[in-house]
Amino acid sequence: MRKLGFLISGLLLSLTLACGGGSHTTPAPAPPAAATGLTYTDPTGTGWRLVKDVHSTPSRLLLNLVGPAGLHTRGAGFNLKAPDAVRFGAFTESGFPIKDLGVYELWNTNPWPGDGSVAVGSDPLEPRLIAGGVKAGNLLTVGIFQKDRRATAKDSGQPLCQIALEYDAASNLRVGDTLPLAITKAKHMAEDIGAFAISPTLEMASKAQLVDMTIAVGSLRAN
Amino acid sequence: MHGTLPRPLTALVFALALGAGLSAAQPVPVSARAYHVAQQPRRVTLAQGQLMSLRPSLGISDREAFVPVHAFTNAEGEAVVRLDHTFDGHRVVGSQAIAKVPLGGTIQTLTHHLQSNLRLAGEPTLSAEKATAIALRHLDPKGVMKDAPRVERVVFPSQFLGGVATIVDPETGRTVVDRKLTVLPKLAEPFVWAYEVKTRLQNEQDGLKQLTYYIDGRSGKILRVNDAIERQAVTPATGTGKGYYNGAVSIPTSLMLDGTYAMYDPTRGTLPNPNLQWFTPDESGWSATGLQAWYEQNDAEGNNTWMSYLFQGNTENSWGDGLPFTAYGSEGGANGQTSGVDAMYAMTATWDFYKNVLGLDGVDGKGTTIYAQVGMTGSWYRNNAAWDSWAMGLFLGTGTPGGYGSFTEFDVVAHEMTHGVTSTTAKFVNAAGYEEAGLNEATSDFFAQMAKAYASAEPGTTVPETGTDWRIGFKVGNGTPVRWMDKPSKDQRSADSWYDGLNYLDGHFSAGVLNRALYFLAHGASSTPGADDYSPYLPHGMKGIGNDKAARIWFKTVTERLYSGGVGQVTFLDAREQAIQVALQLYGESAGGYGMDSETSHAVENAFAAVNVGRAYGEGPRTQVRFADWRDHDWISRNHSSDIGYEHKQFLPIGETVRPRITVLNNPNTAVTWTLGGPSLYNGGSANKGGVINADGSWTTPFNLGWYAITATSQADPRQFAEGRCFLVNLDTDGDNEQDAVDLGCIAFSWYLTNGLNPAHSMFNAPWVDDSDVATFVDAMKATWWVK
Repeated sequence: MRKLGFLISGLLLSLTLACGGGSHTTPAPAPPAAATGLTYTDPTGTGWRLVKDVHSTPSRLLLNLVGPAGLHTRGAGFNLKAPDAVRFGAFTESGFPIKDLGVYELWNTNPWPGDGSVAVGSDPLEPRLIAGGVKAGNLLTVGIFQKDRRATAKDSGQPLCQIALEYDAASNLRVGDTLPLAITKAKHMAEDIGAFAISPTLEMASKAQLVDMTIAVGSLRAN
Repeated sequence: MHGTLPRPLTALVFALALGAGLSAAQPVPVSARAYHVAQQPRRVTLAQGQLMSLRPSLGISDREAFVPVHAFTNAEGEAVVRLDHTFDGHRVVGSQAIAKVPLGGTIQTLTHHLQSNLRLAGEPTLSAEKATAIALRHLDPKGVMKDAPRVERVVFPSQFLGGVATIVDPETGRTVVDRKLTVLPKLAEPFVWAYEVKTRLQNEQDGLKQLTYYIDGRSGKILRVNDAIERQAVTPATGTGKGYYNGAVSIPTSLMLDGTYAMYDPTRGTLPNPNLQWFTPDESGWSATGLQAWYEQNDAEGNNTWMSYLFQGNTENSWGDGLPFTAYGSEGGANGQTSGVDAMYAMTATWDFYKNVLGLDGVDGKGTTIYAQVGMTGSWYRNNAAWDSWAMGLFLGTGTPGGYGSFTEFDVVAHEMTHGVTSTTAKFVNAAGYEEAGLNEATSDFFAQMAKAYASAEPGTTVPETGTDWRIGFKVGNGTPVRWMDKPSKDQRSADSWYDGLNYLDGHFSAGVLNRALYFLAHGASSTPGADDYSPYLPHGMKGIGNDKAARIWFKTVTERLYSGGVGQVTFLDAREQAIQVALQLYGESAGGYGMDSETSHAVENAFAAVNVGRAYGEGPRTQVRFADWRDHDWISRNHSSDIGYEHKQFLPIGETVRPRITVLNNPNTAVTWTLGGPSLYNGGSANKGGVINADGSWTTPFNLGWYAITATSQADPRQFAEGRCFLVNLDTDGDNEQDAVDLGCIAFSWYLTNGLNPAHSMFNAPWVDDSDVATFVDAMKATWWVK
């Protein structure tokens, strides 16, 4: 599509100049403008997908992970590969390239009887199950999971977590250039991980597997 | 439980100005004495008023009071008043204040025997009559009572519970357990209501007995039994000793009431030893007050029998054979006495050094008796020496035939005694992980040298320049010292200078830094590269200030300015700062001794600079390399405070290319060179050394979990380096051979179950998973694949 667009524009420009007369030279088509940001088109479908957040700006694209409505899960994680021209941004809240959108409960929901552990909110330093990083090859890896089995699974059909993509101005991309994104791994934690017990059961052991899933990714272009 | 028990307040002396008058220490003329005696009742009232007003600061409530029970006017004209501590009008056992009231000046109140934070509920359920009956049943008199028992309701602090009492066996002459006086109850509360029941027997069947019982006011249990018969005092004497380390020496002894001698010096120590006081004085005249030497009784194979005895029963007052210890099973004999002679001689000299030079009465400054117990065996004691601050005693090993000699060499004894000084003042933590562990050990080493110097000349009030060899345990090690102080690294274990990560060393080896600094301070440093007393951190060397000045500066620094309180907060840099201040205070140039500048304080700066603690006098800030301490009291450092040193440790994944965080200060060139391992590893540290340092300076970590040491050296100043610890964890919890954030999910599967579902879910391959795993995972992710 992009190549055809250039061709039509070039033809129109040539015809205009010819009709004007006075010159027999055909000027080269003007190159596309240098890109200054990113533009993203959401994927279609109702499964797991990365959807553009309304608070995105041209220089910082925010993508929300959304799952199938009605599917209850306890967390998700994925690896996303991007071209070098795209930088994954960090969030101040987590210090990681992933933002918790408040659906999953990442903490101890209730004290365990008699063990001295504390309920949510009473310890701001409590380690939470959210992390991420950017590995070699510009591979983003993020994960967000409920720590406590006693927390109920959550409906995945809503923004669950957020990542940020930033345009690298030094990359010299032009407006319209395509930036391929690829999910290389994606898993979620199912609702049924076995009936709760404080001691391990065979059922819990048999269900202690993350579930592979496919995340649809929209198209990303320089803009 | 110990933390809830009340403790006597430590030697608090409060003073209240009462206007000008005679100095407290000024002797009064005879004609004035009558006046002072006449004033005594008024001064008793003043003393009582003073103490009553001090109750809030003493931790004493409104229900408590002070009741004068004894007063006299001393030679200086002061009224010396003793006041019992009462609770709701009932006497608190063992809790008394002493006040000295001069005509003018200040009232001095000595309150270190007072009980504080007294809590007591309810009333006794036992009647006084019932308590008396219990005491009499235990007394079991065979003849007629001399007097009717006297009973008084009292408050009994549980810390005074009775223990093992002893008596001299008339057949063997040995001290044995007195089953009549030994009581071993337990109390859940720090204070209980009790009855004090005094009994007196004097008849043919029972002999002379005056036993005082303390009966629990609720349970009726016997809490303590005292024998109140006072016995004649022993006579101080001087014995002839043959030590192995000290040769022929005189040692203080006593002529006991049975006509024999004991290694017992009643002239040194005015308060009883807290461990020995549980032994009831016997007919020999022994008491828990007075410097003394005991021995551990082993069997012939050198196995501990857990019995110990005072060196006693010597008819000639001649002790030891001067030979190395070999007489297992006969520790009380001449060969065993040799260790006692060495210990007693060193203890005496060290006691006098502290008292005569530094003005310290005993190691705790209160005159509390200490004792040595030689002949120690067992897996830990045999080749070691220890100070037990609970027992206020030195426990000195026998050594091993063919190996270490007996641990009774002078500087070993003086070293351990000095732990008594630090354990009652600065209270350094003595565990690897804290820099102050090195301060602790070095302080003991240094004052051992100073005590040796003191003992090398006629007794005086200064430290002579003779007698030091700046080695510890040279003879114990058969010519190889346990530690060198001039160049500690000669043992190939100790550090010569400070670096970030020094705290990973055991305190005996990080001590090298302060040992060398104090050696430089007293003795000076060379400017000749390669010399033992040359330091690359002070290439021009320095002139020493001498033993006496160095001793006074460091003593004042430790006893008056440094305080750990057992939490490991004191660093070498703190020590330097405070020592400089003390030098200015003692030897400053301006009026009043608080100069802004002095040659002595410069010497302190330079001595510490020579071991890379701070800068030299006139020098700019030094390059400093610090292993990242970014943790900033996060969950890991907060919840693993017992896992010392976590502030300086990083978590990283196995088998990945990583860059540990490092900070370079005071130099624009922040480049470092990484090397595997670190200097603490030659101390037998538990960290590993592994992986590959790549050409770009990154570290490809090995595939094994565990602690790894890694060192960063400044490229701009190779004298500056830091050793850090990294714990390598396996993040691949889902077993897909990839460490990524998706692995977080498997941690949740096992989190906080009594046992985990899979050891792979744990960062430590442990059978359970908790917040430590979560925090570690997150930390390793952040450190490795950080996003700015």
